[in-house]
Amino acid sequence: MTLATLAMLAPRLAHEFPVADAAGPEWAAWILWLPALSTVLCGMCAALRVRNKLPAWITVSLLSGSFILTAMLFAGYEQPVTIHLVDWFGITWSDTTFVANFAFYVDRLTLLWMLFVTGLGTLIALYAGEYMEGDVGAGYSRFFAGISVFLFAMTALVMADNLLMLYLGWEGVGFASYWLIGYYYRKPSAVAAAKKAFIVNRIGDLGLALAVYLTWHAFGTVQYAELFAAVQANDFSAEAGGWSVQAIPFLLMLAAFGKSAQLPLYVWLPDAMEGPTPVSALIHAATMVTAGVFLLCRMFPLMVLNELALPVVAWVGGLTALFAASIAMAQHDIKRIFAYSTISQLGYMFLGVGLFTTAGAAYHVFTHAFFKAVLFLTAGAVMHGFAGQIDLRKVSGLRHMPGWRVTSYTMLYACMCLAGVPLVTNGFWSKDAIMAEAFAAVGPGYTALAIIALVTALLTAYYTFRVWFRVCAGPVHYEPGLEQHGDAAGGAFHPRPPRLVINLVLLTISAGAVASIFCAEWINGMIEGSTAAGGLPAVHEAHEGAGVWSDPHAWMPYVAGAVGLVGIAIAWYLHLANRTAADDLKRALQGNVVSAWLPRAMENKWYVDELYHGLIRAPLWLLGHILNLLDRYVLDMVIVDGVARIPRMLGRGFQPLANGVLQSYAVSMVGGVALIAILVFVMPEFLEMLNGWIGGAR
Amino acid sequence: MVDSQAMLDKVWFILPEIWLVIGAMVVSMMGLSGTRLVRDAVPVVVCCFLAVAMAGIAWVYGDADRLAGIDLLMPQLGPYVKMILCAIGIVLAMLSVGLIDRPLEDSLKSGRARFDPIRTSRGEFFAFFLLSLVGAMLVCNANDLIWLFLALELTSLPTYIMVAISRPSVKAQEAAVKYFFLGALAAAMFLYGFALLYGSTGTVVLTEMRDAFAEQAAGDGLNRLAIVGMILAVLGVSFKIVAVPMHFYAADVYEGAASPVTAFLAFVPKTAGIVAIILLLGTVGWSGHGAPGAGGLPQPILVTLWMISVLTMTLGNVGALLQRSAKRLLAYSSIAHSGYLLIGVIAGPGMGINAVLFYLLAYGVMNTAAFAVLSGLQRQGEEIESLDDLAGLRHRYPVMAVVMAVAALSLLGFPPLLGFWGKFSLLIAGIEAHRMPLVVIALVNSAISAWYYLRLVGLPILAMPTPASESITHRPVPWARVAAVIAALGLVALPLFVNELLP
Repeated sequence: MTLATLAMLAPRLAHEFPVADAAGPEWAAWILWLPALSTVLCGMCAALRVRNKLPAWITVSLLSGSFILTAMLFAGYEQPVTIHLVDWFGITWSDTTFVANFAFYVDRLTLLWMLFVTGLGTLIALYAGEYMEGDVGAGYSRFFAGISVFLFAMTALVMADNLLMLYLGWEGVGFASYWLIGYYYRKPSAVAAAKKAFIVNRIGDLGLALAVYLTWHAFGTVQYAELFAAVQANDFSAEAGGWSVQAIPFLLMLAAFGKSAQLPLYVWLPDAMEGPTPVSALIHAATMVTAGVFLLCRMFPLMVLNELALPVVAWVGGLTALFAASIAMAQHDIKRIFAYSTISQLGYMFLGVGLFTTAGAAYHVFTHAFFKAVLFLTAGAVMHGFAGQIDLRKVSGLRHMPGWRVTSYTMLYACMCLAGVPLVTNGFWSKDAIMAEAFAAVGPGYTALAIIALVTALLTAYYTFRVWFRVCAGPVHYEPGLEQHGDAAGGAFHPRPPRLVINLVLLTISAGAVASIFCAEWINGMIEGSTAAGGLPAVHEAHEGAGVWSDPHAWMPYVAGAVGLVGIAIAWYLHLANRTAADDLKRALQGNVVSAWLPRAMENKWYVDELYHGLIRAPLWLLGHILNLLDRYVLDMVIVDGVARIPRMLGRGFQPLANGVLQSYAVSMVGGVALIAILVFVMPEFLEMLNGWIGGAR
Repeated sequence: MVDSQAMLDKVWFILPEIWLVIGAMVVSMMGLSGTRLVRDAVPVVVCCFLAVAMAGIAWVYGDADRLAGIDLLMPQLGPYVKMILCAIGIVLAMLSVGLIDRPLEDSLKSGRARFDPIRTSRGEFFAFFLLSLVGAMLVCNANDLIWLFLALELTSLPTYIMVAISRPSVKAQEAAVKYFFLGALAAAMFLYGFALLYGSTGTVVLTEMRDAFAEQAAGDGLNRLAIVGMILAVLGVSFKIVAVPMHFYAADVYEGAASPVTAFLAFVPKTAGIVAIILLLGTVGWSGHGAPGAGGLPQPILVTLWMISVLTMTLGNVGALLQRSAKRLLAYSSIAHSGYLLIGVIAGPGMGINAVLFYLLAYGVMNTAAFAVLSGLQRQGEEIESLDDLAGLRHRYPVMAVVMAVAALSLLGFPPLLGFWGKFSLLIAGIEAHRMPLVVIALVNSAISAWYYLRLVGLPILAMPTPASESITHRPVPWARVAAVIAALGLVALPLFVNELLP
């Protein structure tokens, strides 16, 4: 299947999914309203200065209600439906309409996303209730209000039946993310990180806004049901071949890359780890950052309208995966390592979308949500127990410490998932689905892309187990962080093992991770019945009849499994069996003039932040100051004040007339009447001139 | 018996006005009562009469048979204009509570003086209030020049007295005298115009004049005398709407009168004047009499109105830039808004007149809101006038500060407030009538007006209080403040019903 045939197929591929034409159950509206209610209640708790864990219990109970409703909706699901909540926009002028209501578009894709969003949201809120206990009475209500806002916005984003409501949710999750990254607002780095996340996301949001507009422009609607029906019927305006339809996939991509932290807009996500760890787990690992993948899956019928779009998605995804993995190898902050690994894994997902295996991408989103949530939550437990210590060089031998067993082994299992240990981990199967497709698909440089994906898998296994071998294995030693906990004040520091609730949450999510090993077929089915179905049958057709050895799907598990194990072995040698070897290796690299730059560049994140600073921020800063000077001295002093002076000078000219003397008023009035009479009657030329001018465009 | 039937129909449609005249008599007598309770009930009774009149308007105009047979030039103006007048009249009456006879009532309360009917003027004030409203309402029912003249004078004459007795100050009396003499001059002017119109058509009945003009236009064009008469009449009535060149009195009179009366002056005579101008122009029509191939008003009249409109909005806005007194500023703003209104008059029936009527409603509400804030506050019993008195109002009276800001933003035409929709519909009407230069000039003027309206927003909300503004208190009677809040709520909420409110 060449690019040309793919392009030929594209309109046909888009036909193969059902479009909603029935109405769904009305109680489903509460999936959206429960988080909203939770926000309001938490806000009231904040206003009333509640000094207990009430906000946490409100949030957990309402979110679990939302999850149960989603599960009921899933259980009763038969066909794609729309559910109308309330009217929102319904504007009609001449022959154009713009309709965007608060309504749900429920197909299998919606349900898949909503199941893990609400499920994990509930569990992580439960965890956070314990984790944030130090802030009870202070920021506790604010925190849970933020979580509830996030769930509300994410629900709106995923369940929307039109692009405008999706946009609302999109901005909403961005806002919730800003709110929660900046939760510790007294900490300058957290505030800076929040601003960075918000501003970088603006670039992507611009793309989404333009995409929404162009979609409406080209198809005359932003409602999915009408939109997809129009795409299936090839029924869009004559500009279908024109630039506007061709631009939509790239604008959607820009939006997705911003929200899902892909090159070149990934820089905000590592900094976002300044937020509380449950936030990192929920928003910046499991759910919000997958919104970009969701967007492309949802709008897949439009993505295939431009033959270049999906290869670009694949390449950006693949390169991001490698790039972020290389940075993760050289970081010391556990949460940052996991953040880069999130970027890297999101890269895999986009690779999958680009390769037409939206099912693989969705599967990886699903499995990744579980194991990455566990990784962050265990990192959070470590932070919580060691007074904020998060440097992997300063905590060691965790699994030998009393009370840390559950944390250590759940982390081990999550690391195995991320590294792709064969057979027993979900990450192995979902990553396999994408990597095999990379070898199977035919496209511009896809073989190179497949090799990149394989190399990234090796690096992933290495950096993941670097963390586990450093922190959980080896001899017991630790240095506490700088945060002051009550029991650490004075006397020797004792790590506080995680409480029962935290362990329960960790175990539950791990169980979910184990269970998701077996759901590949289920997810395939979910995707095939949804808008993301686009290319699946066609791709499968392309491989039909291939021999066992030439079919990458047959040999990929072995290769990928081997690569993962090799990576783990390297990590074991460098970071457990012989920890000095890692330092020796680093020193050797640094001692050699040729290679000295490599570890330094990796440690400094390839200097991308500095690059952006130099290329974008500094010129903007300079421009801002120049404009400020221009504004202050040229615009304000010369133009604005000057122009403003003209009417005032005019006014002064007339002021003598308004002198307060009755007689002069009367004379002025009569004079005015006389003047008008003269102009109108005695000077016909004036009349003609003025009439010609005021006639306007008659 | 046909004539008596026509007379009955005429009376039928002015039943609400007759009811309000009865009201005027009732309150004038109540004001003389020796019982404080009865005197205090005067504004309440006024509001009740106005409310009943509103119901009455709905009732009499609900009679479709009579409405179809009525002999009026523009019968559709009636219900809308009368409804606005009565509705805003209620709010204006609330503004005036406690305005008149305050020193007298204070001394009565403290027992320093005994009640003397000679010294009280509260009943008269509210009686004149109602009579002026009746005059404005009657303008809508005018079908001949004499009725029109009388109705216009009935609108204005009570206001001269209201200005004079609105506050015990020589300034008010000076303002009343100025207002009266200049008003008489203007009345002479439009009466002269009416005479010329009669001379050129041989009739004073508007519908008959319309037919006469149509005949003239079909022949060898409109009588030149008629055009002179029309222009003089329009210029004379411009006094009521404070348009150039009849605007000179505005700043002095508005400043001299007490704020509630100023609010009344800026709305009621203006409404009467605009309706009168529309009726007068209705006789020549907007179908291009005398200008073959072109629609719109006859050329000389169009040019006159165009010049008046441009000069009025420009002079109003430029004049407002220089003011230090809030009342003078609002006076000039009132001039500018008359200029905007004339855009709709020029655009003509349909969108244009509808926009004018809607704008009258919007202007009435926002103007009343702004003046209600000034009426609700005082400094040691004196009115506040200077803009500086409003500085930092938010710190002392946050609600009043917000009302002032909302009113100023609405006057500026800031979306989504009521003023925006009013100005929007006027400009759309201007565009539809292909009066682009006029619309552009109006937009430039809007931009200029931002300069001073934003000061009315910024001073109460953003500025810090000064020692002068610290001494400001609210008036003892709360009704002006209640009226301010009602009007501000209207500015925010009424845009939701724009489609229903457009006539």
